[in-house]
Amino acid sequence: MTDTLDATSPFAGGIVGEARLRKEDPALLTGEAKFIDDLALPGSLWIACVRSPHAHARITSIDTSEALATEGVAAVYTGADLADAWAAPLPCAWPVTDDMKNPAHHPVAIDKANYAGDIVAVVVAESRYAAADGIEGVVVDYEPLDAVVDLADAESDRVVIHEDCGTNVSYDWALVPDPDAVDAAFADAVHHVTETYVHQRLIPAPMEPRGVAAVPSPHNGDMTLYSSTQIPHILKVMASLTLGLPEQKVRVIAPSVGGGFGCKLNVYAEEIICMALAGRHGVPVRWTETRTEAAGSTIQGRAQRQTIELAADADGRLTAVRATLLADMGAYLQLVTPGVPLLGAFLYHGLYDVPAYAFTCRSVFTNMTPTDAYRGAGRPEATYAIERAMDALAVAVGVGPDEIRSRNYIPTEKFPYDSPAGLIFDSGNYQPTLDRAKELVDWDGRRAEQADRRAAGSTKQLGVGISSYVEMCGLAPSRTLAALNYGAGGWESATVRILPTCKVQVVTGSTPHGQGHETCWSMIVADQLGVDPDDVEVLHSDTAISPLGMDTYGSRSLAVGGTALWMATEKVVDKARTIAAHMLEAAAEDLEFAGGVFSVKGSPDKEVPLAGVAFGAFTAHDLPDDVEPNLEAQVTFDPGNFVFPFGTHIAVVEVDEETGAVDLLDYAAVDDCGNQINPLIVQGQLHGGIVQGVAQALWEDAVYDADGQLRAANLADYLVPSAAECIDMKLDHTVTPSNSNPMGVKGIGEAGTIASTPAVMNAVVDALRPHGITDITMPASPMTVRRAIEVAGGGAS
Amino acid sequence: MTVTIARTLDDACAALADRPDAVVLAGGTDLMVEVNRGLRRMDDVVALDRVAELRGWDRDGDELRLGAATTCAELAGDELAPLVPALAQAARTVGSPQIRNAATIGGNLATASPAGDTLPVLAALDAVVEVRSVHGTRDVPIDGFVTGVKSNALAPGELIAAVRVPILDGPQEFLKVGTRNAMVISVASLALVVDRAGRNVRVALGSVAPVPVRAVEAEVLASDRIDWDAGAAPGPVVVDRFAGLVADAARPIDDHRGTAAYRRHAVEVLARRALRRAFTAGSGVAA
Amino acid sequence: MEVSVTVNGTVRSADVEPRTLLAHFLRDDLGLTGTNIGCDTSSCGACTVLVDGRSAKSCTLLAAQADGAEVTTIEGLAGEDGLHPMQQAFHECHALQCGYCTPGMVMAAVSLVDEYDDLDGDSVREGLEGNLCRCTGYQNIVKAVLAATE
Repeated sequence: MTDTLDATSPFAGGIVGEARLRKEDPALLTGEAKFIDDLALPGSLWIACVRSPHAHARITSIDTSEALATEGVAAVYTGADLADAWAAPLPCAWPVTDDMKNPAHHPVAIDKANYAGDIVAVVVAESRYAAADGIEGVVVDYEPLDAVVDLADAESDRVVIHEDCGTNVSYDWALVPDPDAVDAAFADAVHHVTETYVHQRLIPAPMEPRGVAAVPSPHNGDMTLYSSTQIPHILKVMASLTLGLPEQKVRVIAPSVGGGFGCKLNVYAEEIICMALAGRHGVPVRWTETRTEAAGSTIQGRAQRQTIELAADADGRLTAVRATLLADMGAYLQLVTPGVPLLGAFLYHGLYDVPAYAFTCRSVFTNMTPTDAYRGAGRPEATYAIERAMDALAVAVGVGPDEIRSRNYIPTEKFPYDSPAGLIFDSGNYQPTLDRAKELVDWDGRRAEQADRRAAGSTKQLGVGISSYVEMCGLAPSRTLAALNYGAGGWESATVRILPTCKVQVVTGSTPHGQGHETCWSMIVADQLGVDPDDVEVLHSDTAISPLGMDTYGSRSLAVGGTALWMATEKVVDKARTIAAHMLEAAAEDLEFAGGVFSVKGSPDKEVPLAGVAFGAFTAHDLPDDVEPNLEAQVTFDPGNFVFPFGTHIAVVEVDEETGAVDLLDYAAVDDCGNQINPLIVQGQLHGGIVQGVAQALWEDAVYDADGQLRAANLADYLVPSAAECIDMKLDHTVTPSNSNPMGVKGIGEAGTIASTPAVMNAVVDALRPHGITDITMPASPMTVRRAIEVAGGGAS
Repeated sequence: MTVTIARTLDDACAALADRPDAVVLAGGTDLMVEVNRGLRRMDDVVALDRVAELRGWDRDGDELRLGAATTCAELAGDELAPLVPALAQAARTVGSPQIRNAATIGGNLATASPAGDTLPVLAALDAVVEVRSVHGTRDVPIDGFVTGVKSNALAPGELIAAVRVPILDGPQEFLKVGTRNAMVISVASLALVVDRAGRNVRVALGSVAPVPVRAVEAEVLASDRIDWDAGAAPGPVVVDRFAGLVADAARPIDDHRGTAAYRRHAVEVLARRALRRAFTAGSGVAA
Repeated sequence: MEVSVTVNGTVRSADVEPRTLLAHFLRDDLGLTGTNIGCDTSSCGACTVLVDGRSAKSCTLLAAQADGAEVTTIEGLAGEDGLHPMQQAFHECHALQCGYCTPGMVMAAVSLVDEYDDLDGDSVREGLEGNLCRCTGYQNIVKAVLAATE
């Protein structure tokens, strides 16, 4: 037993819980792995997209003649040319309200471009270079219209972007279980804190840009779509519907995928266009995104304005939380765009025991790139709001940020906890994560150092910031999704197949893109079967091999897909037990299975190894009646509840008051994701997740100008952090198993990102509090910090 | 499109005389980015990276002649850094190791970006640019070379052969403010060089005007107030006045990387830090 | 135009369009797809290869400029004895997740270790500033590079 597993864990084989190196690595380390652009598909045509340079414009005419005359160009299509190619507009699977406005979103715009990047024509050519040449020959006349880039402006309907919707408001959504209780709590509150925060737009920026290759079989009607996607299974369904193709003829394959972070959880125009044109031209049709193009072709994240109010008694104990959002949908609703605020809607009270709760959200269209899920999706926003506001409450009450949290944590004895938003938190024990994180950063020492620097009037001030979080992941119980109007279920499928030679194939509906599923899935099955993890092969990401799946997002793979796998393995073991009992002429219930061997309890010499059972199941020469040959089982698991990982992160920053530069000096994270299958993977997810959240706090900003032009459209201006800005983080963990699944596991893919942004911003504000500064707009760039100091009238230069 | 891989300087000049509109390609760190982003089309290219005469450097007394193809990695390296420390410091802040291996001082000059990191140093050093064409060689002083945002004094058919800078006795500083630590395009930069023999301080600013600007009034003040015999740091009042005059010399604009006000403030902070550092014990003029 | 480059020890020639980038020459003409392309502003470093022993971003070099040069790509690192020590260190330190930045990161790391012999955490971080990774937060990459120097 390692300290990564609780004593109650079902694992004891010495494989699960160990920091096992990844089996994915050798192919990736040597260049052997094939990403989408690495595929050799002879005879392919390439597309290049003509994208609107205007954020909002009527298309008055398109002249394709020069493009058609360009060497290597095979065809040029406008939106009108392809209008009959679509059976339906690009899909939005989450109509959160019955009256939600969802304008038709065609893969190629027809009359009007609604953001800079909207596709207005497509060039098909013999090479990517020729396609790029071709787009220069497409002459589009636009009548520019006023662009809507400000959320309040959008809400005012000064300019209505989608005329047929009649308004820019897509929907209003509320979660207010007991309005009277909330009103009463605020009426009686001793402390009433009201805070407003802005989440800037972020660009997910996986290192691999997106890419598509659609490969037709013109005569038998098959269509294979290769795409750098997180969701081959969902994409197969949606692409079939959007193009009116028979689903049984459609196969989707995600090759090696170079990161996703939510932005490859979508059904994109280029995927549908390549499929349509592959059908039309009868040859493979491909597209690879360039990084600058991605600014307009791939969804962005966050982009919300929040108001959060806390009601508390004289001791600072929370009595109610009320949150109001204004969320930027961008120009269109992509696959789950409208649902992103809802994924945070239940968590604006954080991990605090709050009796009364209210959440409302309004979502508006703007003339900017559509938003959608980005690592954490809704939960980073919620956590940011409550964790920033808790610091404000601490100041109002006159206690430390650690103390205000300790007073309000949901007590351990209340789990499973009925949350005021209507969820049931599976398990939690919050205080130890705060205590340990404080130790890791030498909380008292840093506070003393901060006091010294303040007393000395140093131009370099210290700030310490706490963020405690709980998040809901393991998406999701299908019935809950139904209640939220989501257009699909939240189950996951797994098949476990023991081959005649006792090697194992696992088929999973989860779709890895860097998370290490092959390693972890092998460890789970190996532990259960008593085989070597290297003898387990994990098959995934191809709908012909893995026909059932709901893919990877929302930190769901392990808690849902892993559980399906665990259950399928148990099912195989049960079948093997029946066969083994027959072979040993014993009753199945008298057998034990350990170390890959079935033996009869009390008669240790009567045993048969799994290999013997597997071969017996394969030859089928002597199976019990009613037992089918072969050892294989499939399970589709629909979780009964979400899982709720939690933890506390503390950031220590230094602010140069003269230049406004913020340096991260120290960072501690104590997280609890229940039993850990492989701590190496858990730590890796946290490292990357934390840095992504820190990047929102300090560097990244997809800022648009008033004309709707993205000013940070490439990696020179959009500041994805490099190693030079980052530091070594101190990680530790506690283990509080979930009761939502038999392995007692919780997701950890998004936790780092959810926790780190408010920790860093609380630290920055903490450093500057002597100036009277209570908020800094993200990102806390040198210029923004410096301006805040000047506005506060402090920090003489 | 044609690509001419020049092997000698004469080859390169001849190719340019033949195709005066050809794009001159050295390290490609700026140019190829524009090409890749579709912002620039190249019809004819004359590539200089194989011209041996453009590489390397010579020292002639107190003057250093840097071949135009001297890379930022070389500028930052152990041989050149002691001779022109501010140029080395500036070169170290350019891009990343890969970029520094490719980017050349000639390319930085020819691109003439307001954010070109070596330009304020060259301005502070009163560098001289050697320009070459089939018609011969001419010298252009640095203050006449960069003529505006991304424009320079090269006539069609001309290329940069070398840059000459003085080797000064005295401390040098290059400081830069960006939007983060690494690989960042400068929001404001400042080069300060001290000429102990000439008893003067020279300061130039980057990213705060279309071309690198010298802070002449600040230079006069500092040169005048420094106790050259003692090599002592000037007092806080002088440092503040110096920094204020430096800020006055800036003519910044607002853009998406920074506001004019922040840039002016930043060069003031950098000026104060640079002057203090230059005259701190251990790195002072008397050292 | 005809371009001839010694790639991973073997002379490779191809007739390419003059505008062909070295990265595309390696990938499309030579089939060496281990070198990835992650951006168009020479910011991300995914395309890093060694040209005459020094790290270079192959998306900002024309193939024509590499004519006659020696280029080492990720495919040229592992030998008959298995992974190169840097690759092995990346594996053992869990210094990769999605793996897209990895070939460029490994090449940059090889070049860094080759160039300096007294690296510490800070100098590794500075030395890798031209290679972006979105998955790992760099902590294990730094650990791996330091491990490979031992």
